[in-house]
Amino acid sequence: MDIELKQAEIIDQLVRRASTCNGESLVPIIIDATSHPSLFAFSEILALPNVAQLEGTSNAVYLDVLRLFAYGTWGDYKCNASRIPQLSPDQILKLKQLTVLHLLSQTRYCIVLPYDALMVELDVTNVRELEDFLINDCMYAGIVRGKLDQLKRCFEVPFAAGRDLRPGQLGNMLHTLSNWLNTSENLLVSIQDKIKWADNMSEMDKKHRKETEGVEELKKSLSMKGDIGGRGHNEMFGEPSGVMNYQEDGMRPKR
Amino acid sequence: MAPSSSSGLTFKLHPLVIVNISDHYTRVKTQFNPPPSLCATENASNNGEAMLQPNPRVYGCVIGVQRGRTVEIFNSFELLFDPSTDTLDRSFLEKKQELYKKVFPDFYVLGWYSTGSDAEESDMLIHKALMDINESPVYVLLNPAINHAQKDLPVTIYESELHVIDGIPQLIFAHTSYTIETVEAERISVDHVAHLKPSDGGSAATQLAAHLTGIHSAIKMLNSRIRVLHQYLAAMDKGDIPCDNSLLRQVSSLLRRLPAMESERFQDNFLMEYNDKLLVTYLAMITNCTSTMNEMVDKFNTAYDRNSRRGGRTAFM
Repeated sequence: MDIELKQAEIIDQLVRRASTCNGESLVPIIIDATSHPSLFAFSEILALPNVAQLEGTSNAVYLDVLRLFAYGTWGDYKCNASRIPQLSPDQILKLKQLTVLHLLSQTRYCIVLPYDALMVELDVTNVRELEDFLINDCMYAGIVRGKLDQLKRCFEVPFAAGRDLRPGQLGNMLHTLSNWLNTSENLLVSIQDKIKWADNMSEMDKKHRKETEGVEELKKSLSMKGDIGGRGHNEMFGEPSGVMNYQEDGMRPKR
Repeated sequence: MAPSSSSGLTFKLHPLVIVNISDHYTRVKTQFNPPPSLCATENASNNGEAMLQPNPRVYGCVIGVQRGRTVEIFNSFELLFDPSTDTLDRSFLEKKQELYKKVFPDFYVLGWYSTGSDAEESDMLIHKALMDINESPVYVLLNPAINHAQKDLPVTIYESELHVIDGIPQLIFAHTSYTIETVEAERISVDHVAHLKPSDGGSAATQLAAHLTGIHSAIKMLNSRIRVLHQYLAAMDKGDIPCDNSLLRQVSSLLRRLPAMESERFQDNFLMEYNDKLLVTYLAMITNCTSTMNEMVDKFNTAYDRNSRRGGRTAFM
């Protein structure tokens, strides 16, 4: 969320500059935007009508560059390297950062990103370089927050900034949100049921307890009446008199 | 009567102040309206008064620090209100102030508090009286009425502003926004109060029900927030609202982590913990059963032992 705040100012400036220019003069602005170290969001600039007019003109390649940065990855760049003008090192770095974000948004990687996949996507050959890149350029830039697990060779990412959305992705997001909503509603219903179940169980337990202990209390009250009535009733009530007889038996051998 | 203030000061309120004010109010209220069991003839005269004061107003002073544009209200203490002259007890205030200065040399009187539902005209007199201690005091008002539908705290902070009304410069109250700031000790006590279990909750069922109810309300809040997001995105999709890209990016970064429960690692951890808990419950049950069995055997022996002791081996045992 803080990355959005940081970007907001830069986006505002660039949008203002771009809306005043046209055609050829938009090119340096695009190059500026794609090399800026803290800017990762390009859809506002893409949405400007002046930029869309670049389509079909000689500067259309720069529109493609912008689109590449908004939606594409390093792999896309390598495939289309012929059509797109050479990128400066700043832009290459930014494209790689955006590739990391792209990988993270794919559901099969969920939160954990294996080093091997990263190395393939980013064209990095050894782990040391990969980790340096991740630490310096992704975590310090603030676009991801996570832990590097060297033993399992993976990168755990609980938070990553979002990239620009392709027009079709909004539908997916709505779908995910409605699933989440349904799951939480079902959970609410099942919690209600559990609470009722717990109450019912405690009621049944209380009734059961009363029934079992009720008999004992009855016996106790009867036996107390029996004691008052004299020893003649001893034989009929096992428990308290049993104890008394036991002691008498214990005393017999001593005589 | 109370427009928004424009002084540009930020206010930070500590929970201790809120707890103090509500405690003061509750004490005074129960002293004037004692519960029926304690009601004896000696309180009869008070009861006559109590009928007239269903909601007594309590008054006090708030103290804290002002650093630049931030006003931080740390603590508060009670003051006596003299209804005949409509002023606060000045000597008491000064004595208390000295005592607090010894313990907290940084704090000074920032304003005063009271209870009620809205600021009144008479409050302005008290406010002006305090203006010689602090040139711009704050007025903290707590509304003691319990309103279940209300989601935020019933505390409002008013500042005084000089407005020209009908050609006469007058002081009126203007309410300001504030944030709650906690010290670690305050957080612990607020947490404790929030998790109050019923005092006779000895049975497992009531504790379980209380715990589940807590979770239930938390999930309900989450649910309402997800619904808001969902409706917002649906409206954006249909085109009712212009697309806000920054918001969409944030939502996508949030949704990236869902569904969170279907990953293998979660299932592993979850099942492990579940099995552990089941094992522990099983063990507890077995122990319970063996102890009941033991008791039964003891009772059995005690009850029927005399038969075997009398020499004859009877049919059972």
